Amino acid sequence: MSKRIYSCLHSVKVILVAAIISLMFATGNVRAADTLTVDIFGPGQRKVNIILLPPQTLPEGKYKGAKDSDLPLPSEAGAFSEDIRKNLTFLPFLNSVPVGDILGGDPARGVKPGDVDLKPLRLSKVDLVLTTGWEIMPNGEKNLSIRVIGTFNGRTILGKRYSNVTEELLPLIADRYSSHLMMILTGRAGFFDSSIAFVRKNGKNKEIFTVSPQGRNLRQVSSLGGINLSPNWAPDGMKLVFTRLGTRQHLLCIWDKSTGKIDQKAFAGNTVIGPTFLPDGNLAATLTLNGDSDIFLINGSFKPKRALAKSWAIEVSPDFDKTASKMVFTSGRFGNPHIFMLDMASGQVDRVTRKGKYNTNPTISPDGRYVAFSRQTPLGHRIFVHDMNSGGERQLTFGPGNDEDPAFGPDGYFLAFSSSRTGEYKIYLTTRHGDAAMQVPTGVGIATAPAWGKATKS
Amino acid sequence: MKARAIILCVAFMLIAGLGAGCSKKRVESNTATPAVEQRMEDQQEKERLRQEEQAKLVRERELQEQALEEERLAVEAAREFEDVVVKLGNIIHFDFDSFEIKPEYRPLLQTKAELLKQYSNVTIVIEGYCDERGTEEYNLALGERRARAAYEFLILLGVAPERLSIVSFGEENPIDLAHNETAWEMNRRAQFRLTY
Repeated sequence: MSKRIYSCLHSVKVILVAAIISLMFATGNVRAADTLTVDIFGPGQRKVNIILLPPQTLPEGKYKGAKDSDLPLPSEAGAFSEDIRKNLTFLPFLNSVPVGDILGGDPARGVKPGDVDLKPLRLSKVDLVLTTGWEIMPNGEKNLSIRVIGTFNGRTILGKRYSNVTEELLPLIADRYSSHLMMILTGRAGFFDSSIAFVRKNGKNKEIFTVSPQGRNLRQVSSLGGINLSPNWAPDGMKLVFTRLGTRQHLLCIWDKSTGKIDQKAFAGNTVIGPTFLPDGNLAATLTLNGDSDIFLINGSFKPKRALAKSWAIEVSPDFDKTASKMVFTSGRFGNPHIFMLDMASGQVDRVTRKGKYNTNPTISPDGRYVAFSRQTPLGHRIFVHDMNSGGERQLTFGPGNDEDPAFGPDGYFLAFSSSRTGEYKIYLTTRHGDAAMQVPTGVGIATAPAWGKATKS
Repeated sequence: MKARAIILCVAFMLIAGLGAGCSKKRVESNTATPAVEQRMEDQQEKERLRQEEQAKLVRERELQEQALEEERLAVEAAREFEDVVVKLGNIIHFDFDSFEIKPEYRPLLQTKAELLKQYSNVTIVIEGYCDERGTEEYNLALGERRARAAYEFLILLGVAPERLSIVSFGEENPIDLAHNETAWEMNRRAQFRLTY
């Protein structure tokens, strides 16, 4: 009998333990579901609906105690809302819902989660609410608090407060906040802290420029005259390497951001094509040291060390993953130009593309999984992406005109490319899912050869 | 008789008169001699000067003619050299994505090689170009291949390699800015630039 009672007790114990464990797991799951995430690397991507509520003045600071009365907005409020709205349009996984779509209009009395009526937002399938609150201090100082609230649990996903806000700081604050938000939603950042180098034509000359992906901080890097091509960033964003076509030879040029100076170096054979930085500061470029156009590893003092890709045919356009364990390049070794991948440790070369007759301009994602390139189709060049894990290939751009020079962003999600879709070559952004192309504002003139790098504070 | 005497007298007088006239003339002639000599000298001097002048003119004309001849020769030489420059400078074209020298351009390259041997003061930069259809970096390499094909051809024909150099401009500096097959054919080329 006692034995039976004991076993009974024992089983109760087991059930209890199991219940506790399952409860713990359940709470764990609840915790995990606390933040909304967007899988930008999955096979597809879901869209998240976000609403940007009109900015509000907080009844703090100067207006302390002035509850519920009309508090005048600072002049910067409108400009900032526009900056953040523009930034978020660059994130293709966010779908902006206009306030007019919400039953009863603006559902907020304040900027905190408790001040926003979430029911009409849920009804309109809004997932995220962005609120901005301006606090004006008695001395005229302005503080800005920005929140993104998840409608499914009414919690703040990302709240930031910026003090001493001035008009010049607004774009910077918008970029910082957008970068944080992208990090929280996708686990990747880099887009809003990056810089795109490109070639812009001015009369007969082509010079190197840089710009942020949203079109901020447009800056001319080279004023050498003549034709300057193929810019590429150093991994730390402090240097740019590019090719200059002299009248008698090509020159390898390195621009140092800290000094603004450009070093120029010629090589035997007169040819320098598509120079690229490796993470260790070494370079790779196509040289014709012995008559063949082969890709060479070049050390910091411009000495060619060894051939990385060598054949009787054309070998150009090296690009490396983040750790330089893999190099992708274009080779004509089998006749037509195709994309190949070199394993840097073993020296093994694998052919990546088998379709098409003209595949060039490879770019590898920082994690080494995806290789994007341009393929000539009967309708013009188009950007394709090749998944190295599955071997699957997907067309990302559809013209019209030519889509060329793809370059992966530091997040491995965005891609920049150049396209003649409007009749004149300009820089555009898409993602590795092939989201609708967005033009990068690059000013007047033909813009080509984008290279995406890390932005550094200047 | 009287009449005879008169006639004689008249005759005498006439003779006397004639004689007087003659003697007077002689006296006059004697006093004018230095002036005549002067004039003669002047005349001779003038003649000498004229001859000298003429000789000078002839010499000048000769010199002028010589200069003209020289000039003509120089112009001719320059024209000949210009012809050579044109012959050395003209362009050879290529097929799409190809760097093979087409058979129709071989005689042209042979002429170039001969001229290069004749005019040893000339060095040449061979520039390689592509049409706009490919992509920039591959085209830079392809342009280099085209220039190198011409370079190797000339070297095979005996041109010293140090007189030739190569540079590729890829799809930059097209001759024809249009976007059609004719323009592309024009732009796929190796071009020869002379440097003296």
